[in-house]
Amino acid sequence: MSAMTIEKPWQRWLIRLGVFVSMTILVVPGAWVVLTAFRQNIEILAKPAVWIPQELTLKNFQGIFGLLDTQQGLPVAQYFVNSLVISVTSTVVAIAVGMMGGYAFARYRFKGKGALFLGFMLSRTVPGVALSLPLFILWARLGLIDTSWGMILVYMSINIPFTIWLTDGFFRQIPIDLSEAAQIDGCTRWQAFWKVEFPLARAGLASAAIFAFLTSWNEYALASQLTRTTASKTMPVGLMDFTAQFTVDWAGMSAMAVLIIIPALVLTFIVQKHLIAGLTFGGVKG
Amino acid sequence: MTRFFRSPQATPYLLLLPAIAVILAVVLVPLLVSLWTSFTGYNLTKPATLFQWVGLRNYQRVLASSDFWWAFGRTVLFITIALNLELLLGLGLALLVNKITWGQRTLRTIMMFPMMFSPILVGFQFKYLFNDAVGLVNNALFDLGLIREPIAWLVDPILANFAIIFAEVWMSTSVFAILLLAGLMALPKEPLEAARVDGCNPWQVFRHITLPFLMPFIYIAMTIRSLDVARAYDMVRIMTNGGPAGRTELLWTLMTRTGYQNSQMGMANAMGYVSIILSIAFTVFYYRKLTQARTFMGGAQ
Amino acid sequence: MANVSLKKVVKRYGREEVVHGIDLEVAHNEFVVLVGPSGCGKSTTLRMVAGLEEISDGTISIGDRVVNALPPRSRNISMVFQSYALYPHMTVRENLGFGLKIAKEPEAEITKRVNEAADILGLEPYMDRLPAHLSGGQRQRVAMGRAIVRNPDVFLFDEPLSNLDAKLRGQMRVEIKRLHQRVKTTVIYVTHDQVEAMTLADRIVIMRDGYVEQVGTPTQVFEKPANTFVAGFIGSPPMNQLDAIVANGKARLSDGVEVPLPADARVSEGQQIVLGFRPESFAPKGHSLHGADRSVSVARTVMIAEPLGTETILFAELGGKEVQGKMLDPRPVQPGEMLDFTLDLTRLHVFDKASGKTLRA
Repeated sequence: MSAMTIEKPWQRWLIRLGVFVSMTILVVPGAWVVLTAFRQNIEILAKPAVWIPQELTLKNFQGIFGLLDTQQGLPVAQYFVNSLVISVTSTVVAIAVGMMGGYAFARYRFKGKGALFLGFMLSRTVPGVALSLPLFILWARLGLIDTSWGMILVYMSINIPFTIWLTDGFFRQIPIDLSEAAQIDGCTRWQAFWKVEFPLARAGLASAAIFAFLTSWNEYALASQLTRTTASKTMPVGLMDFTAQFTVDWAGMSAMAVLIIIPALVLTFIVQKHLIAGLTFGGVKG
Repeated sequence: MTRFFRSPQATPYLLLLPAIAVILAVVLVPLLVSLWTSFTGYNLTKPATLFQWVGLRNYQRVLASSDFWWAFGRTVLFITIALNLELLLGLGLALLVNKITWGQRTLRTIMMFPMMFSPILVGFQFKYLFNDAVGLVNNALFDLGLIREPIAWLVDPILANFAIIFAEVWMSTSVFAILLLAGLMALPKEPLEAARVDGCNPWQVFRHITLPFLMPFIYIAMTIRSLDVARAYDMVRIMTNGGPAGRTELLWTLMTRTGYQNSQMGMANAMGYVSIILSIAFTVFYYRKLTQARTFMGGAQ
Repeated sequence: MANVSLKKVVKRYGREEVVHGIDLEVAHNEFVVLVGPSGCGKSTTLRMVAGLEEISDGTISIGDRVVNALPPRSRNISMVFQSYALYPHMTVRENLGFGLKIAKEPEAEITKRVNEAADILGLEPYMDRLPAHLSGGQRQRVAMGRAIVRNPDVFLFDEPLSNLDAKLRGQMRVEIKRLHQRVKTTVIYVTHDQVEAMTLADRIVIMRDGYVEQVGTPTQVFEKPANTFVAGFIGSPPMNQLDAIVANGKARLSDGVEVPLPADARVSEGQQIVLGFRPESFAPKGHSLHGADRSVSVARTVMIAEPLGTETILFAELGGKEVQGKMLDPRPVQPGEMLDFTLDLTRLHVFDKASGKTLRA
């Protein structure tokens, strides 16, 4: 499209300006928080504002891990471990279970297929806050409040429908001929899956896994109600530890924000290509 | 029964069984519990009230409460404004980036940036940026000489709502931009060229060729967005928590306040059902549009 | 010995029956082609032989084994798919050896047989490439190679050439024929292209709407089509078919032209029939393929002339319809020119109008 239309120079500059402004708006807020995480508290609170940092420091990070005497340490390390354990476990299980479901939808015709698919998608629309209310009641009775297992179960149920949706798309992109050819070449259906279809869907499954991981890693609404202590509190819930009634520890919060964003940043970069393809074409082509 | 499970027809059901079991246990059963409690006077502090049947009283009280209707109206308005704004800005951004030939990959990566942020982080980020004392926005306005007194972004009712919508749009415009850009890049060249040969000007080409082709992508983005529109709760929770004086109260914040702080679980669950229906309504609406657009696309290919 | 035998084979999807009780015997090492328009059930039949579709009714046996309940892997068959179905994540070598690896053949044996197949098909230069880096013809060859390494009892081909361009299709057709002569195996080959069917087959099975219309050698189905469908399907350009009524032992066309009928045509006076003749049998005087012993002449105006070099296809009107004739050893013909056509009476086809069945013995 762009190669064909001939633009006048002023149009080209206008487009570039528009892109520049948009990108600035997208980048600056996050970048500012990251910068704050490495700044001294005096600078952050300074009046008039100090724009160029005089000195960058790791103090804020040491502070939130309780490595400095001056500041009261929060159990951030424990939160990080909780987040990691809960996210990874729920992702692994959700991918295994979701992949089976996605394969069933992609490869088989069966009664109630449409209704079942719709049911899974509808279950995903239930807002986390609304679901947290009855889960709070039930988990309290089952003794699952403030346990990692309680959170793992919840995140599985959030991630399974989406994984089914994504993997259904990925498997449907693999021609059914390949599995049939493998079966004629002597494979059982099971072998045909593991030797042909699974290797081909691997990239897609990886991105589905990362998507599931990020959903769990970033979730707040449910975790904020179903976790209480260091036994299961996750990073996003821990972030709220820094806000008291009238004071906010901007530097500490920024440092913690950086810790939350880094894994997300790395993982998203890895899969961005597959993810977009999976989301768009899985859906558009139906 | 055992014969059925060994037959080939059973395979898809067996494959789906674990998924169904999890959804039943963690979503469907809780929803039934929640439905039950919405008909009881359940109060968190008094466990026995879980079995105190009150019929439709919770719903009557919810529907009679002006707080609820303000929150409900604000939520619907919030969703509508946010989704449409995100669509318009996302479309604009996609069209702009599509015109850029050099460094497009980098631009796409930058567009992914807000998608990595969890909503609670977005909330924190804008709470910080819009803070009246140390925020970037006020600091900038000060140093540019545009204001003399700090603007209380998150305290003034109108500005607070503006700030929340701004944060929401910042967080989710990328979803639209990225999906629509993927659509633009998949756009077949021939119809565009045919239209130009037929004498369409650039606007007519966009209106009659590009936009219809993009519709399925728009509906995909809308469906994905309405699926998790309630994530805005996290953001609002940290930015204003419904304040000042309930002026940014959305259905979701009102619900948690009623349930957890005031312990009126029955009432909260009644509101919960309203919010579930709202989410489902938005999702189903766009999903149906998507299926329609999909069959329409099928004919063109 | 691997003959394939289909007895009353039926395929139903839910309540809809798409293959209606097919009987077919394929002899050991015979090359049989199933041909017909799309949706005629030929691919479904092939897939039932392969074990990729369940057989709703009837039996299929390979050799003396009934295979109805056997999964594809236990039938000792191999198949070339229309899409080739090469494994995208494996090199050519791995693609060829995959079946043997699954069968847990020793490494040395796999290497030996893969190299043999590569040699037969001229694949050596590409052995370490992925399918994505091969041309259409090369992919086609790999697909065939994958089929032959396993020494199957039966080879199944599902429209293997339809994704190739016309020139390559011609080459591969010859190559398949050569392959069959070299690797003697029973072959069932599905195509919608009657030229492929005619050139490759020992016997052709012509199908329509889930029924077998005719089974026979290429010569038989060409010279003695059992009904109007086969007559129209086999041969290019297609056979001319004109409605006629039997009067005084002759066929009277709607424009009054009378054509004497062959002696063996079992017709009755006044019967509605379809008179068929191929373009080769309808040529201007002195330009016909066969020296016509018995013929009738009609003067017709040429409407369109399509010069093809060695022959020219002429369009003229006869019996109220447009018919095609073939002019051998052609000279330039102008539209509107009046020519004396001869119709070769020894190569007339006569069908019953109502049933479409042939009326010749």
